Amino acid sequence: MTFVYACRATLSKVPPLALLAIGAFVFLGIFSSWLAPYNPNTQNLLLAGQGPGADHWFGTDHLGRDTFSRLIVASRTSLVGVFLVLILANTVGICIGTIAGYRRGWTDEVLMRFVDVGLAIPSLIIALAVIGIFGTSYWNMIISLALAWWPGSARISRGVALNIMNKPHIEALRVLGASPLRIYFFHLLPGTIGAVLVYATADAGAIALAIATLSFLGLGIQPPTPEWGQMLVDALPYLEGDPRQVILPGLALTFAVIGFNILGESFALNRVPAPMSRRMLVSRRRVTASWKKVMV
Amino acid sequence: MTASQLLTVGNLTIDLLTARTAVRPVDGVSYSLNRGETLAIVGESGSGKTVMNFAPLGLLPIGVEADMSGSVSFDGQELIGASSNDIRALRGKSIGFIFQDPMSALNPARSIGRQIGEMAELHLKMSRSAADRHALDLIKLVGISDPSARMRQYPHELSGGLRQRVMIAIAIAAEPKLLIADEPTTALDVTVQAQILHLLKDLKKRLNMAMVLITHDMGVVAGSGDRMVVMYAGRAAEVGPVERVLTQPRHPYTMGLINAIPRRTDLVGAAFRGLPGVPPVLGRPLEGCGFAPRCKFVLPDCSTNRPHLAGTTDPSILAACPVVNV
Amino acid sequence: MISLISKRIWQSLLLLFLASVLCFSLVISAPGNVAILIAELRSPIVSKEDIAKVAEEIGLNKPLPLRYVGWLGDAIQGNFGISYKTGEDVGESLEKRLSITATLIAGGAAFALMGSLFLGFVGALYAHRMPDYLARGAALISASTPSFFVGALLVYAFSVALRIFPTFGYGGPISWVLPWTTIGLLPASVLSRVVRVGLEEAMARPYVLTAMSKGLTRSQILFRDAMPNIIPTYLSALGTQVGVMVVGAVVIEPMFAWQGVGELFLTGVRFRDFMVVQACLLIFITFFIVVNLTVDVGMMLTDPKLRRQRS
Repeated sequence: MTFVYACRATLSKVPPLALLAIGAFVFLGIFSSWLAPYNPNTQNLLLAGQGPGADHWFGTDHLGRDTFSRLIVASRTSLVGVFLVLILANTVGICIGTIAGYRRGWTDEVLMRFVDVGLAIPSLIIALAVIGIFGTSYWNMIISLALAWWPGSARISRGVALNIMNKPHIEALRVLGASPLRIYFFHLLPGTIGAVLVYATADAGAIALAIATLSFLGLGIQPPTPEWGQMLVDALPYLEGDPRQVILPGLALTFAVIGFNILGESFALNRVPAPMSRRMLVSRRRVTASWKKVMV
Repeated sequence: MTASQLLTVGNLTIDLLTARTAVRPVDGVSYSLNRGETLAIVGESGSGKTVMNFAPLGLLPIGVEADMSGSVSFDGQELIGASSNDIRALRGKSIGFIFQDPMSALNPARSIGRQIGEMAELHLKMSRSAADRHALDLIKLVGISDPSARMRQYPHELSGGLRQRVMIAIAIAAEPKLLIADEPTTALDVTVQAQILHLLKDLKKRLNMAMVLITHDMGVVAGSGDRMVVMYAGRAAEVGPVERVLTQPRHPYTMGLINAIPRRTDLVGAAFRGLPGVPPVLGRPLEGCGFAPRCKFVLPDCSTNRPHLAGTTDPSILAACPVVNV
Repeated sequence: MISLISKRIWQSLLLLFLASVLCFSLVISAPGNVAILIAELRSPIVSKEDIAKVAEEIGLNKPLPLRYVGWLGDAIQGNFGISYKTGEDVGESLEKRLSITATLIAGGAAFALMGSLFLGFVGALYAHRMPDYLARGAALISASTPSFFVGALLVYAFSVALRIFPTFGYGGPISWVLPWTTIGLLPASVLSRVVRVGLEEAMARPYVLTAMSKGLTRSQILFRDAMPNIIPTYLSALGTQVGVMVVGAVVIEPMFAWQGVGELFLTGVRFRDFMVVQACLLIFITFFIVVNLTVDVGMMLTDPKLRRQRS
C-alpha cells in the first residue's frame, strides 16, 4: 500500500470537524512565527492585565505579553513536543513490537512482559517518576513521555506484525529463499508502520494533554516558552480578576484535544445499523411511489 | 370474516425501504387462518414469507422501514395502520414467536429461567417467585430433561434442540392464540426436527392455538400443516388444504416443487428433477407472472398479465395460473 | 475456573516483581550519590570518612541483587526510608495520606459510575435523537477538557462567582463536591461512551428481536437484555479509569490543597526527593496491578460462559 494511497484513504474517512480542529492546530503550529502579531516574550508591565482591544485582540497577561501571540506560539510548542514524542515512542515501539511478532517464542514472551509492565502503569506516572529522578528539562520531558508511550505502540505493532506474518505471501517468500532480514525490512516493517501511524495520530491528543499537564505542574515546558498548560497555571493566581487568561489557553487545548478525540472515535469501526434519516426515507418513497399496486 | 377466522390477510403489499434499496417482498397476498388450524407458508429463501408475517407485527431490524397496504386482521383487530403500541401489546400476549436460530435468538447473558419467567411477569402479572414456578412448569411442558437445573443454566450450555424447546416455552408462556414459527426446525438435526414438530402439534392441541408455520421444507408441511400457502416472488401462487395441494397441485411452481422431491421408487443415480432457472431477485414489482421465465406451460400473455388467485376444478384450492386452470 | 484465576494471579505477581525491579533500577540510577545526601542530612559538614560510613551503613557496597532484596523487604514492611528533603519517615507520611486520596478516588469513582450509567443509558434510549446528540456532545467535551482546566472553571464558577463551595481545603462533605466532580468528570464521559456504544451494539443483536417479540418496550429491552451484555466491558473500562483517576489525583490534590499521596508524589518529584518518589511509585503500581487483577477476576467469576468449568 503506497503512502499516498493510504493518506487519501484515511482522509476520506475522517470526520470534517476533526479535520478542522487538527488542521487548525497543525497550521497554527507550523506558521506561528508569521501569524503571531507580537513577540510572545516581550513584556510590558505597563500594559499588564488588559482586556481584549484593538491592539491586543485577546488582551495581555500579567506580565504584559500579548495573549493572542502566546496562544499561537504555544500551539507550535505543543506540536513540536507531540511530534518528537510520537517519533521516539513509535520508533522504539515498532522495533520491539515487530521483533516480538516476527521471532515469537521466548523473545516474544520476554519483550511482551516488559510491554505489560509499561501498560500497567499510567503514562503520566511514568513520566513524573522519570522527571522526579532525573530532573526537569525539555529533553527529560520528551524522553519520559516517550518511555510512557512506547508500550502501547509496541502492543499494536506486534498485533499487526502477527497479522502480516500469517499472510500466505510471507510463507511464499520464505520458500523462495528470501532472507529473514529481507522479509523483515521490506515486507513486515512497511505494513506495520502504516497501521501504527494511523493509531498514533489518535494518541497525539493524549500526548498534547500530557505535555500540558506536565507544564501545568511546572515540570514540563519552562517559561518563557509559551505552552497552554503553563499559561494556565501562570494565570491561576489572577483567576478572580482576569479569568480570561485562564480560560483562553484552556479552551485552545480543549479544542485541539476534541479534534483528536473525534478522530480516534471515528477509527473505532462502528458498523451498527442506524434508523434511516428522513431524507433517505423520502428518496426511497419516491422510488416506490411509481410502483403500481394491484387489486387482487 | 367468520367467527372461526383468527387471521385474515387481504391484498397485503409490503415495501421495504433501507438506506441502500427499496424492494417489494410482498405483492398483493391474501389468505386466512382459522382458530386451532396450522397454516404452512412455503417458499424458497427470498420469497417474502418471513417479512409477510413479521412486518405487520412491527418486528423489523433497525434501519429498515416498511410501507404496508392492504389489510391484516387479527382476532377482529386491524393491524395495518395501527399504532406501534397497540401492535406491541399483541406481541407475546396474543401472538407468540419462534425463530429460526435458537442460539442467537436467546440472550447469552441471562439464565433460561429468567428469559422464560419474564413472560409470566409481563403478561400474566405474576410475581417473581410465581413466575419462576410457572417457568419451571413450562420447561417441563416442552419436554426438557432435568428441569430445575435448567432454570439456572445459560443458553450456551444447552444443545440446539433444547434451546429450541426453550424458545417454544417462551412463545407459549402467556398462552397466546397464535404461534408464528419461522423455520423452527431448519437449524436442527433431522432427528430432533421430528421431535420439535411433534411437540408443537401437541402444544397446539393442548392450548388450542393456531399456528403459522413458515418453512421451505415440504416434509415439514406434509407432517404438520392443515392448509398451506405457496409463495413465489412475493406473491401467493397457490392456497389450499395440504393433502389436496400436495397430491394434486394446481400451479406449475408447486408442481415443480413436488416433482423435485426424491421418491422411494427412484433408482440410485437417477437424474435430478429440479426446476430450471433461479427465482427472481426481489426488487420492483414484476410485470406479469413471476414464474413465467421458468414455466413449461408459459404463454405469451403470461409475461404481461399478472395472474390472480382464482378458483380451480378443486373448490378448496385457489391457484394463480389461468393457463393450467382454465 | 480455579486454574484460570490462579494463572491470572501468578501473572500479576510476575508483573509486580518486574515493576519492583523497575522501581529499584530507577532508584539506583538516580544521579547524585545517595551516601553524600544522607551524610549531608545528618550534619552540615561532611568528610570522606562520614560518607564511607554511611555507604557501608545503607549497604551501598553490597552486590545489586542483595540490595534489591533488602530494599524489597523494607518496602513490604512499610519502611520506605527517610525523605531527603524533610527528614520525615516516608512510610508514616504515606499512612496519613492514604485515606485522603482514598476519599478523593472513591468519590470520583462514584460520580463517574452514576454519571456514565445515566448519560449512556439516556443516550441509548433516545438513540439518534436530540437527547442522544446532547449527551454525546457533552461527553466528548468533558473527555477532552484537561482536568486542571475543569478544576479551574469549577472553582471560578462555584467558589469565586457563586460562593457555594469552598475554594480549597479538605474538610467536611461540602469541600468534597468540587474535587470529586473535577476528578470524576473525565472518567464519567469516557465510561458513558462505553455504555452508549455497548448498548447500541447489544441492541443490534438477534436476541433483541426475540425480546421485541415478547412485547417488551424499548427501555425494558435496553435494561433487561442489553445491559447484562455490557457489564464485562464496563467493568474493564472502570478499572482503567480508576488508574486514570489516580493520575488525576496527582494534579488535583495540590489544586485543592488536599494532602494525599498524589500531592506527596508531586512534591517529591518537584524536589527530586527520590525516596518519596520511589515509595509513591511502588504504591501506585501495586494499586494498579491489584485493581486490574480484581477487575479481571471479577469478570471471570461473573462470566456465564465459564460456568461449565465450575460445575
